[in-house]
Amino acid sequence: MNQSENNFVSLKQVLKLKRHEVPPPGYFNHFSDSVISRIRAGEAGGAQSLTERLHGTAPWLVSFLNIFETKPGLIGGFATSLCLLLVLGVVFTERSDSATKNILATVEAAPGGDSLASVTAPPLAAAGDSSGIIASTNPVTSLQPVSTLFGQPNSTLFQAASFAPAGTGN
Amino acid sequence: MSMTEPASIPEPSTPAATLEGDLVRKARRGDLNAYDELVKRYQERIYATIYHMTSNHEDANDLAQESFIKAFQALKSFKGGSSFYTWLYRIAVNKTINFLKQRKHKHHLSLNDLDFNAEHDPDLVALISDKTPLRDAGLAELQKKLNEALLKLSEPHRMVVVLHDVQGVSHDEIAEIVGCNIGTVRSRLFYARQELQGHLAEYMKPA
Repeated sequence: MNQSENNFVSLKQVLKLKRHEVPPPGYFNHFSDSVISRIRAGEAGGAQSLTERLHGTAPWLVSFLNIFETKPGLIGGFATSLCLLLVLGVVFTERSDSATKNILATVEAAPGGDSLASVTAPPLAAAGDSSGIIASTNPVTSLQPVSTLFGQPNSTLFQAASFAPAGTGN
Repeated sequence: MSMTEPASIPEPSTPAATLEGDLVRKARRGDLNAYDELVKRYQERIYATIYHMTSNHEDANDLAQESFIKAFQALKSFKGGSSFYTWLYRIAVNKTINFLKQRKHKHHLSLNDLDFNAEHDPDLVALISDKTPLRDAGLAELQKKLNEALLKLSEPHRMVVVLHDVQGVSHDEIAEIVGCNIGTVRSRLFYARQELQGHLAEYMKPA
């Protein structure tokens, strides 16, 4: 390293010139005043920056963004990981779609089952025979007899709609 | 007012560091007088770093002010893992590099004047004495050539040269400020110097 330092002696002499470059006289006398007045103006104007607002609401996000500020290289890494997540999401969505199609194809190919509806419909037809269920015009939400706390079928849960005209009843 | 002094970071146990810690704590609570004191402490070094990176006084002025303002706004997130000085430097360095990336290929020199001592620096006098009998003109020409040569370097290389060879910041501190390891700092410094030497060959004394 010393050898390489020696190789750059002349260059270092030239670079010394940079140390003699100075701003206009009195420049630093007012520098801090300018900074402080700009900070005060920002505060007085109530024009809180996004960062300031985030400090109050989501300090963790500010810390997260500060990591990017100090290490800009991480932005690329973060963006890459987001893209990867997006791609993975798309791939898995396509896979689940194809899996659903496979299931449908299996159901259609099954003997005696013409369609998905035929697979799910029989319980509806059979429900009328169930002793605990009374036919109703209301949408059927559960076709299974609902038991009471005492284990008895709850026959009063669903009321049959009556279309008989008034006065014709027993 | 000189920008020639090497940067010296206060040791954690020194009274200066203790005082700085107090100032930082007060500034975090919104005490602008304390922050004013911190600005005064570091304004020259921060300005000089940015100026040597941009070779433009107006840009350096804006960026230095913005760096201090940003530091004040972000002070709540300063955990004290590094010194305030290093943390502040990092903000200024990142701000400057972002600015230079945006202004790519639009270099406009706005150079500061050389101080009185430049004419009497024996190293500098020796460099230009062969070139021209007009010493001032020689120095001004060298200053322009040097700044143009620096602007030809990539930002990371220029940053390392400015921090080490112009401002006297140590390798360790540069590594902490720039966010890379010391080996990278040394390697960048070597290649940057080599490139600079190529650009300024006419001013180099033969070895």
